[in-house]
Amino acid sequence: MLFRIRRGSLVNAAAIAAAMLMAVAGARAFDESKYPDLKGQWDRTAQPRWADAKSAPLTPEYRAIFEENLKDQAAGGQGTDPTFTCVAPGMPRVMNMYAPFEIVVTPRTTHMLMDHIHDSRRIFTDGRDWPKEMQPNFNGYSIGKWIDEDGDGRYDVLVVETRSLRGPRSYDSTGLPFHADNETVINERIYLDKADKNTLYDEITVNDHALTRPWTMVKKYVRKPNKQPVWQEAVCAENNPHVVIADEPYMLSADGVLMPAKKDQAAPDLKYFPQSRK
Amino acid sequence: MLSRCGFGSLLFTAAMLLSLTGAQAHDESKYPDWNGQWRRPPGVNNQWEPTKPRGQEGAPLTPEFQAIFEANLKDQAEGGQGTDPTYICIPDGMPRAMNVIFPMEMIILPSTTYIHIEYLQMFRRIYTDGRPFPEDTDTAFMGYSIGKWVDTDGDGRFDQLQVETRFLKSPRAFDSSGIPLHPDGKTIVHERFYQDRDKPDVLHDEVTTIDNALTRPWTVTKHYNRVRNPIWVEAICSENNDHIKLGKDTYMRSADGLLMPAKKGQRPPDLKYFNAQDTRK
Repeated sequence: MLFRIRRGSLVNAAAIAAAMLMAVAGARAFDESKYPDLKGQWDRTAQPRWADAKSAPLTPEYRAIFEENLKDQAAGGQGTDPTFTCVAPGMPRVMNMYAPFEIVVTPRTTHMLMDHIHDSRRIFTDGRDWPKEMQPNFNGYSIGKWIDEDGDGRYDVLVVETRSLRGPRSYDSTGLPFHADNETVINERIYLDKADKNTLYDEITVNDHALTRPWTMVKKYVRKPNKQPVWQEAVCAENNPHVVIADEPYMLSADGVLMPAKKDQAAPDLKYFPQSRK
Repeated sequence: MLSRCGFGSLLFTAAMLLSLTGAQAHDESKYPDWNGQWRRPPGVNNQWEPTKPRGQEGAPLTPEFQAIFEANLKDQAEGGQGTDPTYICIPDGMPRAMNVIFPMEMIILPSTTYIHIEYLQMFRRIYTDGRPFPEDTDTAFMGYSIGKWVDTDGDGRFDQLQVETRFLKSPRAFDSSGIPLHPDGKTIVHERFYQDRDKPDVLHDEVTTIDNALTRPWTVTKHYNRVRNPIWVEAICSENNDHIKLGKDTYMRSADGLLMPAKKGQRPPDLKYFNAQDTRK
């Protein structure tokens, strides 16, 4: 009995100590083993295009806007692609992944870090609800939830909804437009390939009033093997040859002189200069 | 016998579970809690030395760079930008980014501490995985940063992040007054980040800049105040930038979007690539 009591006490003490230590660790530690390993450098597997524009389920009104944009681009303009002045591409376009990106998972937030223009995202996973008032952003406001779909005790899918977007935005440089009301809602499912942990998918469904139905696209990314990846800084404004004057796009020549973007484009109005020079 | 096996198994299991937790968990309790949003204190604007007025910060510049700085002040007084390169929306770069014009977030993981500053989405990776500096790498406005966590008071928790930054790209200035850094790209920046002992919502960054435009290392201490439940507001510099750079000349954009002079008597831009009949006055 004595032995039993002592042994039982020891067992109990060990179990209690272990439980307490586990609880402390659980309370203060971020248990990475619960989350998929998304560390490293991810890159796109295709050109940064959203889709074949013909497949876009645009409403007739926005199909006409898109066609007009194509005509303008063919003439040297930018159409409905707003990013040539280095404004942010916004969601969901940033998921075209213009430069390699990093995913930083913390219990409260998943950060998507993309060194392009202003592409990085915060996806809040702390259980918050949508704020009553949200200031619209190009990347919107994203709330995510980690899901253990296969019940193995580890999360395998990050489900995200993004709202509160602002414009102008397009899907890619072809100028595929979003509705000007900026009521876009984007749903994503982000997950690793079950057979290849170096392949990541983002299944993106766009709900937008420029579309006749929700439009789903799956983006695929691959993980680079370098454990210490090289991250290159991208500064859009550093050598941007595009200039907008009074809503009209112009170009800068190699010698930094203003030149037309379109054939026979008129020179900008210089009424604020007392004299003009050729 | 069975009892002994069961007892041993339990201890073994407990030990395994603990070691597993230790191996796969990021023990946040070892690191300081720097979650939230950090802002520069009220009254501190875009000035490198926060205790002195902008432009009168006593930068220990060499005579050559003092002359460059003074010429810059004259140019700025006339409407130019002097040696402040950021008016076209290029990043502040280091160390100027630590002026934290728009709010900052710090994300601490064992291998890297990330600093994310909303303005121009300036972003720093501070590697704390024990790596050395690479022999060669591309220069960047934010540079290449290696850090080390230090437990200065020996309480078993890290309380200070020491950082060295190299491989910096030009042009950079310390702040909007245009205090210049040498264009040779040899700047080295040392930092000590630490939380205020009495005020956990105050963070300090003691920044020492070593640069060939300076006669000696220049140390200033920056202070940031924490907002616990922040709202992050997007800051897109290019969206409504009133400055237009054409070649080496800088112009302004009028309220109606037209080009206008930035300086008194400034000549209009060269329109040689436009057909003569299209040139408007």
